[in-house]
Amino acid sequence: MSDATGVIHDIGYQRYTGPRLGRRQVFGALYGHGVRTVFGLGRSAKAKIFPWLVVAVVTVVAAGLTAVRSQIGEVVMTYAQFADAMSWLVIFFVAVAAPELVSRDLRSGVLPLYFSRPLPRGDYALAKLLALGTALWLLLGGPQLVMFLGAAFTTSRGLRGVWDELLDLLPGLLYAGLWAVVFASIGLLVASLTGKRAFAAGGIVAVFLMTAPVVGVLSIMPSRTVNELAFLASPSTLVGGVGNWALGDRLTQGRGGMPIGDFGPVYAVVAVLLVAACVSLLLLRYRKVAAR
Amino acid sequence: MSTVTWITARGLFGRSRFLMLLPLPLILVGLAVLCRALGVDPGQWGPPVLVGLGLAVVLPVVALIVGTGVLGAEIDDGTVVHILTKPLPRWQIVLPKLAVAAGVSAVTVGVPIYVAGVLADSVRLGLALVAASAAGALAYSALFLALSLVTRRPVLLGLVYVLIWEGLLGRFVTGTRVLSIQQWVIALADRMAPTPLLGTTVSVPVAAVLTGLVAVGFTVLAIDRLRSFSVAGETS
Repeated sequence: MSDATGVIHDIGYQRYTGPRLGRRQVFGALYGHGVRTVFGLGRSAKAKIFPWLVVAVVTVVAAGLTAVRSQIGEVVMTYAQFADAMSWLVIFFVAVAAPELVSRDLRSGVLPLYFSRPLPRGDYALAKLLALGTALWLLLGGPQLVMFLGAAFTTSRGLRGVWDELLDLLPGLLYAGLWAVVFASIGLLVASLTGKRAFAAGGIVAVFLMTAPVVGVLSIMPSRTVNELAFLASPSTLVGGVGNWALGDRLTQGRGGMPIGDFGPVYAVVAVLLVAACVSLLLLRYRKVAAR
Repeated sequence: MSTVTWITARGLFGRSRFLMLLPLPLILVGLAVLCRALGVDPGQWGPPVLVGLGLAVVLPVVALIVGTGVLGAEIDDGTVVHILTKPLPRWQIVLPKLAVAAGVSAVTVGVPIYVAGVLADSVRLGLALVAASAAGALAYSALFLALSLVTRRPVLLGLVYVLIWEGLLGRFVTGTRVLSIQQWVIALADRMAPTPLLGTTVSVPVAAVLTGLVAVGFTVLAIDRLRSFSVAGETS
């Protein structure tokens, strides 16, 4: 037997001895990355076109409303009504953002890489959901801040006027949060069903759009109860109904709300149940995806 | 029936995601039947169901999913190369795909809207709606098929057209209705079966000419684009 001719060189491999970050940091990183993904930050210019198009439109509308208000001195749209008026753009934004967040990962098959970290199945879904919710809230809240600043700097009643304006803004931001939660949970659930971004976007829009005419039909039924419950059928009118009940006059400032009768609590319960159902289905979905 | 037609049809129906298209027509029929059964005045439920749901949502969304799917799906996963390398003239690829897309959309939309039209008014209205929505399906399909060759994000661009141009602007800025396929379909259906249920500001000759122009123009554009088509990876 001849002597071994091979040598094992020490080329300086070292073990990692630094601190190992845990679940919370993974969650935080995934969340931060999600918010950046939605707005296309850190990605190519092509990925920025659609999100920033929507952001530009809502900001321009808010600036226009502010300008009109400062010239005429009349409130064209309250903060909450701004969110309602932008509903089509919010739907489009969800259709752009939700597939980017979840469908790409499904399609490129990187989920096993994520789940090989100290990351429970649910955390992945929840981080993405939180990211989409934050992005939607920023989308609706940012322009409201523009409107607030415009109103605050042009008020003729000094600090008192600014304070009143702030009291109007806060319910508006709360309402925007409600929009964000409901739309993010539905949109992300639909997007997580398919790995094709194109189909996910189409599916999201189909879900949101086909429910709107249902409300229109139900509200002309020959029954008062059905009419008052009609707004449950579509996510955007459901949010409107909850806002109407919870924030009441503060929301509309006497500019006509939805005729929901005494069913306000029903709207709130249904909204909570809807979000809970969407989130639990999303978690179930990721248990299955991860097991693959 | 050419091989391309067959491949396209199989690509559409062979996946379970085609079932995603079913709820839309079902809701349309369901609402019409419900309203009829409860005896609501057709003058009240006709516009929201026929126009609001049928022509403004079901037709464009179905045409968008199918129209961008027939070619866009193959471009996405790169299998379009297999067709492009065959010694086929480009029009023999685009036309069968367009025919499949328009046919599938027209049937998916036509059946429920016929039922809804008959329940709302008369068989004549039903047939008029079917004919008009078939013309609309052809125009939409040509538009979305061309979009899937012009840009890498055809669905989102199509959504911009459907949601923002037809939906948002068409509602507030009446001038944009002249360039909206949805309004042309309404005008054509109203001409074939005049009822108070359908109403639009676009004149019928304009609608007919523009529908034809869009269908032909975007088909030619698609054929031309496919002539010098470069296969690229997925957008980042």
